[in-house]
Amino acid sequence: MDLENQKRVKDITEKHGAENVIVVLGAAEAEAAGLAAETVTAGDPTFAGPLAGVQLGLRVYHAVEPQFKGEVDADVYEDQIGMMEMVLEVDEIIEEMTDIREEFCKFND
Amino acid sequence: MSKIRIVHYINQFFAGIGGEEKADYKPEIREGIVGPGMEFNKKFGDEAEIVATIICGDSYFNENLDEAKAKVIDMVKEYNPDLFIAGPAFNAGRYGVACGTIANAVKEELNIPVLTGMYEENPGADMFKKDVYIMETKNSAAGMRKAIKTMAPFAIKLAKGEEIGGPKEEGYMARGIRKNYFADKRGSARAVDMLINKLNKKKFETEFPMPNFDRVDPNPAIKDITKSKIALVTSGGIVPKGNPDHIESSSASKYGKYDIQGFNDLTSETHETAHGGYDPVYANEDADRVLPVDVLRDLEKEGKIGELHRYFYTTTGNGTAVASSKAFAEEFAKELIADGVEAVILTST
Repeated sequence: MDLENQKRVKDITEKHGAENVIVVLGAAEAEAAGLAAETVTAGDPTFAGPLAGVQLGLRVYHAVEPQFKGEVDADVYEDQIGMMEMVLEVDEIIEEMTDIREEFCKFND
Repeated sequence: MSKIRIVHYINQFFAGIGGEEKADYKPEIREGIVGPGMEFNKKFGDEAEIVATIICGDSYFNENLDEAKAKVIDMVKEYNPDLFIAGPAFNAGRYGVACGTIANAVKEELNIPVLTGMYEENPGADMFKKDVYIMETKNSAAGMRKAIKTMAPFAIKLAKGEEIGGPKEEGYMARGIRKNYFADKRGSARAVDMLINKLNKKKFETEFPMPNFDRVDPNPAIKDITKSKIALVTSGGIVPKGNPDHIESSSASKYGKYDIQGFNDLTSETHETAHGGYDPVYANEDADRVLPVDVLRDLEKEGKIGELHRYFYTTTGNGTAVASSKAFAEEFAKELIADGVEAVILTST
């Protein structure tokens, strides 16, 4: 995750509290999604950005995961994400995201 | 015992200063840790600590090499560390070269152990793996935790002067050093085991790895060879009779450049071979057998080539290091080009 976005996530979390923030990702590959998810939970894995060593433990989901899909208007979802959902490796992304959440997310829900 | 003192070198990116746009950042030293040093210190526990971090932009380092090197060494000196760590640089080319260069310079000048890490295809790896310990890492910074997990304990070992195991076991890149040891099984048994594994398409590890030579793509074909100037270059050791420059019969440390103007045929009166390691009788009888001046003169007369270059270049290939051969060729290839030579015929023994 680039340095700017790390700073944004950090600022927003400080302002609203970790329990009130959910990060939704749109990365195209499981590995990239996992890295971004790791950044907002366990801290920047590259130790280069504002989240280096900062364990926010935020709730984080990918846009193709059922937790997110189930919360939004089905027509809008179909319109905005439907196409990408078809071409992405959804299962792989879900597995990766689940692993990261289980290991690093502070909120058990 | 007090903690091992370490100075850490990183680039502008890992210091959180910025990416490419900040790559001209001048060397700066900060007390304590910056960026990845955080994870290093965690892994060091009570045994070691990073006392200062030097930050330098990758472009700045590589474009102002001598100045940057001197500056960074001065900075390191100030903290009087027991060990110096650079990177890890993963697959970042300029960062990898900077890490290798500065680690090697610190080792040479301050005489303390040094360590860096990078991806095996980082250009810095080939340049410095023989000089400094380079831990092998993944190709992206996503592998930071993993890299530090192996680098940190190894760093402590180095600083304490403990015995270092082989590259496989410790995770650093092979430095081309062979060390004797007592094996459990004798050579014949090990060879048969390897063969059986090979026949069964199972993994086996050679005990005599071959060096990796790069492959050189041939240049495009010459458009009109009947108008081209052709030169002869040989590793077959042909020299004027008496070997006036004393080119060694093996492991040559030099090459010769000799005039063949007026020679239509090399004879045992005029030329011989300096090359060891093969029966030189036939080359000495008629040096054209190795360096075909006679045939090229014929082709020149028949108009099949433009002309034969006035000088030939020669060395002995026997046991001569690839690095030396490269250095010879780098030098004389410039002369050949300057002399308008368009093609070279390379001959060997």
